[in-house]
Amino acid sequence: MKDESIVILLAEDDDGHAELIQRNLKRAGVANEIVRVCDGQEALDFMQQKGAYTDRAPQTPVLLLLDINMPKVDGIGVLQALKADPKSVKVPVIMLTTTDDPREVERCYQLGCNVYITKPVQYQEFVDALTRLGMFLEIIKFPANK
Amino acid sequence: MEPHSQEYSVASPLPSLRVSPERLAEILDIAEDAIITVTLSREIILFNRGATKIFGYTPAEVLGRTLEDLLPVAFRAAHPSQVDGFARGPDVSRVMGDRRVVFGRRKDGSEFPAEITISRLERGGETLLTAIVRDATARKQYEDAILRMNQELEERVKLRTAELADRNLQLAQKNEENEMFVYSVSHDLRSPLVNLEGFSDELRLGSRDLDKLLQDDQIPTEIRKKATELLQGSMVESIDFIRTAVSRLSRIIDALLRLSRSGRVVYRSQEVDVNAIVKRVVEALRATSSEKQAEVIVGALPPARGDATAVEQVFANLIGNALNYLDPARPGRVEVGCRQGCSGPDGEIELERNTYYVKDNGLGIPAAHQDKLFRALQRLHPEKAPGEGIGLAIVRRILERLGGKIWVESVAGQGTVFFFSLPIVSNDRPESSEEIPLPQRSS
Repeated sequence: MKDESIVILLAEDDDGHAELIQRNLKRAGVANEIVRVCDGQEALDFMQQKGAYTDRAPQTPVLLLLDINMPKVDGIGVLQALKADPKSVKVPVIMLTTTDDPREVERCYQLGCNVYITKPVQYQEFVDALTRLGMFLEIIKFPANK
Repeated sequence: MEPHSQEYSVASPLPSLRVSPERLAEILDIAEDAIITVTLSREIILFNRGATKIFGYTPAEVLGRTLEDLLPVAFRAAHPSQVDGFARGPDVSRVMGDRRVVFGRRKDGSEFPAEITISRLERGGETLLTAIVRDATARKQYEDAILRMNQELEERVKLRTAELADRNLQLAQKNEENEMFVYSVSHDLRSPLVNLEGFSDELRLGSRDLDKLLQDDQIPTEIRKKATELLQGSMVESIDFIRTAVSRLSRIIDALLRLSRSGRVVYRSQEVDVNAIVKRVVEALRATSSEKQAEVIVGALPPARGDATAVEQVFANLIGNALNYLDPARPGRVEVGCRQGCSGPDGEIELERNTYYVKDNGLGIPAAHQDKLFRALQRLHPEKAPGEGIGLAIVRRILERLGGKIWVESVAGQGTVFFFSLPIVSNDRPESSEEIPLPQRSS
């Protein structure tokens, strides 16, 4: 069943996109806590309990919603760093991006992302994708690192 | 030594030649070439007038001396054994210097390139060797000049080829840059569009909720009336305008992305069954053609060399256009065919490409619009069919990449023929799945 202790980490530099994603996740019935960070470095800080997130409870399971185009460390960089570290290799990662370039998609899957969602310009598709994401949260298995 | 005789017998497949010594001396003296006869020990026993002219010695100065005196110092040491080798060898004559340049040495010490033919004459058990020497200075100079000219010509061709290759590379890079530019701009535009679309939808949802709230009985009728007017008249209408504009913008951006992709995807170079492709395309457009009550006639279409998907895209676009822009005033007719080995757009003969065509009796394209036809985002009859005016731009890009061309002949009010060429399948190029190279990429 749906695990509401899961924290959703939303790494997205565009305020509008972040707001739309959060609103639509709520509408899709996702009640989990959503932490939003604005770049890849902050996302890594959160995951590795560094910087502003030194005091974060380390046991909290995290699902990462990761935008690809971000300042400092981009989404690909974050994905690579997480998959290179045994502690975070199993963290589920969902890539969000405006690109539908097949090579880019392929690359993300090769690097180990779980789901790839294109932010479609056709808004309804985007909403549908996020709704599916809500359903995905119900079935996804989280690493037992509690 | 036995005096040299009245008669020379010339080794020749011809019957023996017998002439008197006087006659022979005359013949020898009118020859331009140097004629020098030596004994086996290379002692000079005959030195004609031509030899005097070339070497500068009078016969009196050289008769009795050895042949080496007529050679540059550097060649002298090896010479006796070379002469011996020839004298004992099977050949009766040999042309010297056919492999390397040989030289003679004049009385004044100067050296000159020479053509030398040496022959062996047997006379009563004695072997005589005769060298015929020609000063090859002029010929050598002439040959050197030709060689130099050839080299210069080759250099110029090389230079020109390199220039052309460089120009091609620059053009390809320019094209690639443009495509990358279009790609990244379109791509960057998508991000704010997600916001525009998203928040205008949020506004729409908000207005709907607000409308529901206004139905509440507690709200005074007067206020409800004014608020509903405001909501429906001003806000909802404005939101609709925004949403229409945003979706148009997003379609244009998607179209530009498709165009830039047509220059960036990898195409294969294979034998393409054009008949099968067109059959498929016509089948897929069946709904449109029966709705328009149009007839689609397909002739025999030879195979082409290219990428099947890309070729299908070309036919689908052109046949689709032909159906979309038919003239409702007359029964529609679309004809697909091929003119093999026919001329290109400027009347040039095409041997390496076949010219396919898609012909319709539709609305036609006014001459003034024809040169804009293949540019992106140009539409002549936007009311006739949806689209962003990107199709023909993509078609042209695809054909360029496949090594073909596209051109149009059209009369407004009568119809249009789109011609395009594709490389033929030639037997000397084995079937392969080689890829058509992408434009040069800097990264």
